Amino acid sequence: MRRAHAIRGRRRVTGREGKAVDPVLTTCPFCPCGCGFYLLAREGRTEGVIPSASDPVSRGRLCARGWASHEAPAWGERLTEPLLRHDGRMRPVSWETALDAAAGSLAAMRRAGRTIGVLGSARATNEENYLAVRMARGALQTPHVGTCLSPAYQPLLDGLHDVTERHAGSGGVADLEGCDVIVLVEGDVAVTHPQVAGAIVRARKAGCRLVTIGAVASQMTRLATLAIAAPPGRERAVTFELAAAALATGRLDTATIVAAGETFDELRRSLAGVEVSKAVARAAGWYAQAQRAGIVVAPLVGDATDLRRLAGDVATLAAATGHLDRDGSPLLMLPARGNLRGACEVGASSAFLPGFAPLSDEKAASRLEGVWGVPPARETGLDATAMLSAARGAVIVAEDPSVVLPAGALAREALGRMECVVLLDAFATGALELATVVLPIASFAENDGTVTGLDGRLRRVRAAVGPPGMARPGWAVLGAMLGRLGPAAEYESAEGVRREIARAVPPDAAPRWRELDQVGVAPKGERNGLRRRSLGPLTPCEPVEPAPFVALWNGVFDWGRDPLVRYSPTLCRESVAQRKLFPGGFVELSKEAMERLGVRQGWPVRLKSAGGEAVAPALMRADLAAGVVVVPFALRDGLAPAMGGRSVASVAVERA
Amino acid sequence: MHSNAARTIGKERMREWIGRLMERAEVLAPTSARAGDIILRRISSPLEVQWGGDIPLLPPKQAVLPQTDPLVSIGRGPGGFVVEPVYDETPRVLFGLRSCDVKGIEFLTRVHEYDLADAAYLRRAAAVTSVSVACVAPCAFGFCICCDAGPFLADSFDVQLTDLGDRFLAEVGSEKGGRLLEPSADLFRTGRADEVALRHELEEAAKRAFGPETCHFASAMRRVSVGRVSAELWDEIADTCLECGACNFVCPTCYCFSVKDQARDGRWVRCRTWDSCQFRAFTLEASGHNPREAHRERVKRRFFHKVSAQYFRRDGAVGCVGCGRCVKVCLGTSDMPAVVAAIRKGEWHG
Repeated sequence: MRRAHAIRGRRRVTGREGKAVDPVLTTCPFCPCGCGFYLLAREGRTEGVIPSASDPVSRGRLCARGWASHEAPAWGERLTEPLLRHDGRMRPVSWETALDAAAGSLAAMRRAGRTIGVLGSARATNEENYLAVRMARGALQTPHVGTCLSPAYQPLLDGLHDVTERHAGSGGVADLEGCDVIVLVEGDVAVTHPQVAGAIVRARKAGCRLVTIGAVASQMTRLATLAIAAPPGRERAVTFELAAAALATGRLDTATIVAAGETFDELRRSLAGVEVSKAVARAAGWYAQAQRAGIVVAPLVGDATDLRRLAGDVATLAAATGHLDRDGSPLLMLPARGNLRGACEVGASSAFLPGFAPLSDEKAASRLEGVWGVPPARETGLDATAMLSAARGAVIVAEDPSVVLPAGALAREALGRMECVVLLDAFATGALELATVVLPIASFAENDGTVTGLDGRLRRVRAAVGPPGMARPGWAVLGAMLGRLGPAAEYESAEGVRREIARAVPPDAAPRWRELDQVGVAPKGERNGLRRRSLGPLTPCEPVEPAPFVALWNGVFDWGRDPLVRYSPTLCRESVAQRKLFPGGFVELSKEAMERLGVRQGWPVRLKSAGGEAVAPALMRADLAAGVVVVPFALRDGLAPAMGGRSVASVAVERA
Repeated sequence: MHSNAARTIGKERMREWIGRLMERAEVLAPTSARAGDIILRRISSPLEVQWGGDIPLLPPKQAVLPQTDPLVSIGRGPGGFVVEPVYDETPRVLFGLRSCDVKGIEFLTRVHEYDLADAAYLRRAAAVTSVSVACVAPCAFGFCICCDAGPFLADSFDVQLTDLGDRFLAEVGSEKGGRLLEPSADLFRTGRADEVALRHELEEAAKRAFGPETCHFASAMRRVSVGRVSAELWDEIADTCLECGACNFVCPTCYCFSVKDQARDGRWVRCRTWDSCQFRAFTLEASGHNPREAHRERVKRRFFHKVSAQYFRRDGAVGCVGCGRCVKVCLGTSDMPAVVAAIRKGEWHG
């Protein structure tokens, strides 16, 4: 019986001793652009990267992270044997013991009615995320499944769905290069999504007009034809104006207006009387008149409602002006990390079943029951932060929630309180100290499977070397756990899991999962025109309350503590240096603000908000607006009290 | 002493020759990889050699200065730590190289020879013999003619082949090159005067095909060397650079590196790894001070090193062989020809 649930995926691809193996074509594991390259390996270790000129996304161009992607698997502190906590200490055990302990604890908790959460990850493949979902909603019958980064991305997809009835934008990164106008709702894409930034730079060279909307200056705003300053965390104030101004131009798409019928009038009424600045009116005119116009929304800080409405604004703007689904007019929402879109698509979500099927969808539920042998749990789950607070047990796949979730310290405390934490990871992270059972899995360089790019393209990940020590591919480990938890699940390969995903998602999404070619499949059915016949209304942005200072995190994800950066000798240096120099964090202020406060570079300032206060050194940033305080997300632990649990907060700043 | 006399080999005999080379050495050659990319890698059959096609994105630098290059092995012995140098002296033949890449390896070898000679590099490079194929037409982004690095080579090569249709003319440029031909003398015959004349005609035609618009280093060198490029211009260029380091990594003449110890089965291996002068952390000091904190300073540094008179005097050449790879891989738009044009004209159109 147990033999049937033995762990799979022992295939080794290591070259002969001292010999190099052929370069292996795979997909970059970092950001979601989905660049293709070949991994070079020798003696079972990855040792280099060759870009793929024929890759449809990267076309031979890689960013610094892509070029160094061979480093972390070879240099990193790897998990090589299963570990089980006994009397407070982690001890190496056999796979059988570790899997029995993990499955036994989870099954016992389920029988006792304890809350269990399952976290997939943007660092894991689609297959691993899907199996995490199957474990949660199927085997463990818990609705609490998701990823740590979904709260910053899912609202954008929901906003698109409000207008287009699909959880996706359209077009791809390469389309940006041919645009006449690009509207970029900017975080800092040159850092977070360099391939997207590269396409924008090349578009600018070809004469494209670039409009940036953002609270903080960046490399892209310096390149912009028109940089529109938005209130911190309230980019939506500008996107709403932009939609209103575009509708006022009268250069609208007749087919969309006819299809939208009365709802278009409703939309117009909702935008009547909106005051539009000259700059926004210019940008709207350019966008409406352009033959090919792109919209890019970078990962943003802000509350979920605002993010959802922002996505609705830009989707409405694209639809009304005829750019939605037009060839060469991309509409791109950028996930913060690698496979976030894929994780959401396969159901690592508190609110959806695989393939974005609603929880209330009877057909989807019976389809999943047919595949899983058990009906899925169909309640709405908790998001990652709430899940960790409420759960007594957790399965965590390739993630350290305490460094990814905004409230990192709280996540750490929550994990520390749990009865059972089953951790699957390739690398040693801080989560190791809090785990009950550790199951070592393959890193991207040793794994087969797929990931989903920001454009929806399914991309293959291929093993260039074998996993170290006793580590096994994540899909095989999750498959073995599912086998123990029941109903029985048997997977011979990652391909087998992917074939099951094709059966688990709605029929219109299934072909994409079946027909995977060498470099991946662009999503079909995303350029079929506006399916929804309703466009309006849009809700105006609430006015920003005047405050002397507004502080905001400078992003939603800390690359510095991602294992693939942390363990790369080339990539980790800046982050390590920053932590060494500013262990308690720092804040960035404008020159004017520093003069007003009477502080110099490095002098301490106190940030106070309704939620609490914190002291940190002040650094001057020349391109900052006077009332904006930028707080590094990467060093947030020391400054979290001053932000009161928010990503954007009104604060008082004084010399400490 | 090797003979300079040109020889010819029929194309039908080329497989036989490559097969014989494979018996004596690792043969690396352009091959077609999974997605159709041309990649220089070790072949296991002469049939794998891809003739013509795009220039491989990664230069043969990887054969003399790998991306991860083990230098020293460190272990524990009875009397303390035992440190042993790691040398790779595997005989290798780099087959089917472009002229520019031969010049690139020559440049790197020169750099690693002077001052403190780099034994790890030099021993590996000494075991490498190149067989290049002269370019009878310019490649899409190449400008080797501006750098004295092609399309044909007059020196620096071990063996240079010229495609004469149904046969290749083989010129031997070094003793190492001669040793590749000697055991296979039965496959070659002495080149005729008309074959040598045809080779020169092809060279002249290839040079003419470059046309007038290429990459003019001379005036750029003058302006960079005397600091006549404004900070504003460097700022503008820097704003179109995304600090990916690709220009360094694919450059046949770049050799910036970092050193890090890698744990391997109870030992440590000190490795040299490729690095980039475009990375902020490349010059970051332990104190936190960074002499090239501003992006423009890093871009300026790169092009000063590449085209300034100071480095030209030291290295005997501009730090560019005109292969055009940086044009293909630049994530932004700050490739060599674009920046050289900006320096010459004093304005940036990136």
